[in-house]
Amino acid sequence: MKKVLLTLMVALFALVAVSETVITVAAGAVGQELELTKKAAERYMEIHPDVTVRVLDTPDMVQDRLGLYLQFLEARSPEIDVYQVDVIWPGDLAQHFVDLYEYNADKVVSMHFPAIVENNTVDGKLVAIPWFTDAGLLYYRTDLLEKYGLNPPTTWDELEEAAKIIQEGERKTNPDFWGFVWQGNAYEGLTCDALEWLASNDAGTIISPDKKITIANANAVEILEKVAGWVGTISPSGVLTFAEEDARAVWQTGNAAFMRNWPYAYSLSKGEDSAVAGKFNVSPLPAGKSGNGAATLGGWQLSVSKYSKNPEIAADFALFMAGYEMQKMRAVEGSFNPTIEALYADYEVLEANPFFGSLYYVFTNAVARPSTATAPRYNEVSTLFFKAVHSVLSGTADAQNALEELALDLEDLTGFEVVWGF
Amino acid sequence: MARKDKLTLAQKEQRTAYKLLLPALLILAAVAFYPLFQVFYTSLTDKVFASGTDEAPKFIGIENYKSLLGLTIQELPPIVDETTGDPLIDESTGMTMYERAIRVLPRSPVRYREWFQFSFFGRRYVVGARDPEFMKAIWNTLVFTVISVFLETILGLGVALVVNSNFKGKGIMRATMLVPWAVITVVSARIWEWMLQPTRAGLFNMVLSRLGLGDGGLSFLSMPTLQMPTLIAVDVWKTTPFMALLILAGLQLIPKELYEAGRVDGANRLRQFFAITMPLLKPTLAVALIFRTLDALRVFDVFQVLMGNRMYSMASYNYYQLIGNRNMGLASAVGVIIFFIIGIFAVLYMRLMGVDKE
Repeated sequence: MKKVLLTLMVALFALVAVSETVITVAAGAVGQELELTKKAAERYMEIHPDVTVRVLDTPDMVQDRLGLYLQFLEARSPEIDVYQVDVIWPGDLAQHFVDLYEYNADKVVSMHFPAIVENNTVDGKLVAIPWFTDAGLLYYRTDLLEKYGLNPPTTWDELEEAAKIIQEGERKTNPDFWGFVWQGNAYEGLTCDALEWLASNDAGTIISPDKKITIANANAVEILEKVAGWVGTISPSGVLTFAEEDARAVWQTGNAAFMRNWPYAYSLSKGEDSAVAGKFNVSPLPAGKSGNGAATLGGWQLSVSKYSKNPEIAADFALFMAGYEMQKMRAVEGSFNPTIEALYADYEVLEANPFFGSLYYVFTNAVARPSTATAPRYNEVSTLFFKAVHSVLSGTADAQNALEELALDLEDLTGFEVVWGF
Repeated sequence: MARKDKLTLAQKEQRTAYKLLLPALLILAAVAFYPLFQVFYTSLTDKVFASGTDEAPKFIGIENYKSLLGLTIQELPPIVDETTGDPLIDESTGMTMYERAIRVLPRSPVRYREWFQFSFFGRRYVVGARDPEFMKAIWNTLVFTVISVFLETILGLGVALVVNSNFKGKGIMRATMLVPWAVITVVSARIWEWMLQPTRAGLFNMVLSRLGLGDGGLSFLSMPTLQMPTLIAVDVWKTTPFMALLILAGLQLIPKELYEAGRVDGANRLRQFFAITMPLLKPTLAVALIFRTLDALRVFDVFQVLMGNRMYSMASYNYYQLIGNRNMGLASAVGVIIFFIIGIFAVLYMRLMGVDKE
């Protein structure tokens, strides 16, 4: 009897082992990202006990993550089924992903923001389902503004002034205090920050949607020279090595008056272990010459690899992750902006993130990086751009020379026409 | 008759030798020559990395090499005052003002970008390169290699002499000495990155500001004057143990009797060192130097982790072209150039140190 039972059990195990499908998702780990992705994966496994979802942790820096993905894709590896894809990549990577319309995405796509769906559609194929969207925000310390009798800045000049005053005052008791922290390392994040400076100063968006190189102009020189002046004065000189998490580390320990960052930092900043909990708020980024602030459009999508062994299940998992229930969970617990319009009217979401309502227009009017116009060479364009900006900020090149050289480099790379604006 | 037999015997032996060598040669061909040939072939094409298509890349000859290595020198004309005809002088520095390099360097048929400027006999020149970043990467790698290998050799020799002497706990000392070498470079580079943080949360800024140096916000990894010294310091910390280990092995090969004889002859410690230790250590030192130099020329991990896109070595520039820009053809050309530069160093060492004669 015992023997029979044992045989049965072994057979059963074998069956389970055979029928069990393993799906691997390559996901980010910035802030609470990894934690929330694992939570969603567990939820999926509860509903689908025959599927195992593995979550692969990937590098924080966007360039490094792309490098890792490209190595899997060049090898046509089936090892990763679902990729977390940046808003700028669908054009560059489209040929490696399945068309999600063939896997029931047509039923859910209408509830997502149409602009992002369009961004993720290449040659009529939906290569990625929107997962969360992002826009640059200005985080500011309400307690310090009040202490020094200041208002939240609406222009870069005001921000510079306020940062100076607060830094000077706070330095008396805290020698590590800085006015303004942001992302200045030579990586994609600097492209995002710099695009905000440019757009807010009427200096264009590097390459215009109608494929003209517009970066060589006097407004761009002006704003870059201004920002270069911040390094070592209101911002630490180390800001030139900062990515998102480095800026957040300074901010969340209470050592900065202002920070430029994405919405994910909101729920972390109000967490229990945060020194700034209850002492901060967010606003749109300040304006330059144009009179309006600008926020770079960020955000991440989920794509299913063409080389996956189980594309149906992988697509089902991707759609589940990007569905209403999971986006709501991520919005409430991690302040990740949903791509589903209806969630911006959801009571629980708004209670956790009041700024989702008050800054709704920032998210819907964010400035896109020129990834569509330059696909499939966006990453090269962006790399040339952030390196030029970094050389200006670190003082190894002057702004006009750097931008002129950049415009010629971009001309060589893309073949587009340069519009000279000096 | 006997003579003929002897010849066949030699021939037989030779044949056996070839047969025995064959497996090794086959393996070498498979793991070394084939990939090398593949890289060389790819370097003559415009292959795109992870293109996702099955289209064959185009053969473009030595175009990749030209775009990496193209150089030009142009004279910069002084800016002339239109009314007086005299050259303009910058009032703040008192120097003659010259035309901007970007205006002088040729743009067609191919464009040259500014690499550096220099003055010669009162004239100002600019050196333009088709790819100044690669030129800088080569320069960075050479500076890094020469200085770090020099320091590692001196320090390694010192460490080896100390642990070669007899003292209590010699074994433990030798083992602990190797710890930096044993840690994976990417991991140790990350640890250094934390210690080098540009705030007082980083160890170095903390210690320096306690000593009254710096403002607690020194950015070792982004200030142009601190970048290279920092990289060299990290590498010296990591690789000195390796150097010490190799030299220690050489020291232990020197017979003790020679020192005894030296003492009997009245040679002092210094004399012993230069007359006995150094000459007998030379072959070991040569091998250690070759090892380290060739290794340093291929440096990747320290640059990649600590500098990212802010500064390149030859190998990290290769990675940037391959992964960042997906230019597999160009990246292969970079690989071939690295191969030749390392080859030149290897041959130079062999000649200078007389290694091949032994």
